[in-house]
This record gives sequence, C-alpha cells and structure tokens, in this order.
Amino acid sequence: MADSRTVKQQMAKLLRQPVECLADEARLIDVVADSLVLVETVIELQEHFGVRLVQDDVRSVVTVGELARLFSGERRSSTSCP
Amino acid sequence: MRFQIDENELWLLSFYRTSEIGGALFFGRLARSMKEGPNQADMTRHFADEAQHAWYWTDCIERLGAHPLKLTDGYQDQYASTAGLPVNLMEVLALTQVFEGRVINQYARHQRAPGIHATVAETLGRIMEDEKWHLEWVRRALGEMEPEYGRERIDETIRRFREADEQVYRQTVNEHEQRIAHLTTVLARAREEDPDGR
Repeated sequence: MADSRTVKQQMAKLLRQPVECLADEARLIDVVADSLVLVETVIELQEHFGVRLVQDDVRSVVTVGELARLFSGERRSSTSCP
Repeated sequence: MRFQIDENELWLLSFYRTSEIGGALFFGRLARSMKEGPNQADMTRHFADEAQHAWYWTDCIERLGAHPLKLTDGYQDQYASTAGLPVNLMEVLALTQVFEGRVINQYARHQRAPGIHATVAETLGRIMEDEKWHLEWVRRALGEMEPEYGRERIDETIRRFREADEQVYRQTVNEHEQRIAHLTTVLARAREEDPDGR
C-alpha cells in the first residue's frame, strides 16, 4: 500500500507541479486548473495504485492531504482492486 | 457582412460552442489516459466529434456574420456543484449518457423553433447525427461494466446525475430566461407533447 508521500509524488507528476506545491492542507480547487483536471487526476491515481473509488469516498475530500490518504487506505470505504 | 442573428441567438449558439469545447477538452484528457481497448477508441472518436462540433458552431456563427462570444462556463461545468464530480469511468459515462440525452433534446427542440435560420438548422442536424452515436457507445460501454460495478449501482448513478441534470437545466433556463425566450414557447409545447422529454 502506498504512503501519502508516494501518492502526492504521483499527483505532482500528473499535475505537472513540484510536490512541494502540494501541501497537505492545500485545497484541491486551488491546485488544479479546473474540475475536469481533478476528475482526470482521480481516475489516473486509481489506475496507478490499483484502487477503485466511488463518489461516497471523495464526497467530503477538500484538501490534497485528504485525497492522498484515500489512496494510502486511511479513509477509504471501498476495497483495492485485485 | 450584416448580422443575421440577434444578440440572444448569438449568445445561445456561443453557449453551445463553449459546451462542445468543454466536452472535447474533457473527453480528450480521458482518451489520453485510458487503457488500450474499444472504449479508448470510442472515447477518442467522441472527443474528436465534440471538437468538430465546436468548429461547426464557430463556422455557423461566422457564416451568420458574427463572432462567437467568449463565455467562461459551459452547461456541464455546473454539474460538479450539483451532483459532485464523477470519480471513475463508470460515473463519467453515466454522466455522459444523461448529458448527451439533454443535448439531443435541446438541439431537437431548437430545430423546431419558429423562424430558425437555415444555417443554424443545418448545423443542429449535423451534430445530432453524431450525438446519437455517442449515446449508443456510452450505453454499450455501461452495459459492459455491469459485471464490475453491478446494474444497480450503474442505474443509481444515472438516476443521481439525471436529478442533477434536471436541477442544472432549470437553473440555466431561469438564469438566461430572456436570452432563450424565443425557445421557451417551443420548449413548453414540447413538454406538453412529451412530458418525459424523450
């Protein structure tokens, strides 16, 4: 299972931003260009980490740290893909 | 060249153009990141269609002697705050099915507007042909996802996005009432004839 730091590194790669710009407390709407980029990023992270999310998992996610923790398994209700 | 459309119609056609651009950018990004397979090919064709439709509207507006207005948000930008963002491909396709249905209905009703300019009618007709294929491939792809997500979850997701779509559509109509007044009579009549909007 990936740790939060690894997830953030992958996010940084997808968003073409230095990982230092992705502070845990940064709001996602402030670090992505628009909502479509966020959708694409979340889908790509699932592909990369072999995790499947549903909308309930992300409904209350606001910050970078909260999103990263979903992929490190700390807040997720769904299960990893086999 | 003299303008052949009024300010409100120019706004509406520009709104269509902006929404098509939004769709093209979205599906283009998804097509780039999708795994190999039939859905990747269909998503790529879908993205190419949406980009082509944006060009059709641009060309249509130019042929009517005007330039497209620069608008910030298309119709689909309003979904996020109403229904939440889709988080997997199944949810993206469920949203797409609802959205494409709305587009076809809107374009069909616009085509029936009294006094519609022939160039606008022709553009609507060309685009609607493609939109029918969009609905077909999305419906097929969702069917193929049943073993993975379950029919119940897919239906529930479509239902959720349909409710959001109703809300977004009402908001859009209310917000731009004056601009689309020339269509509302047609829409009201269409609703009487077909209450389910099919």
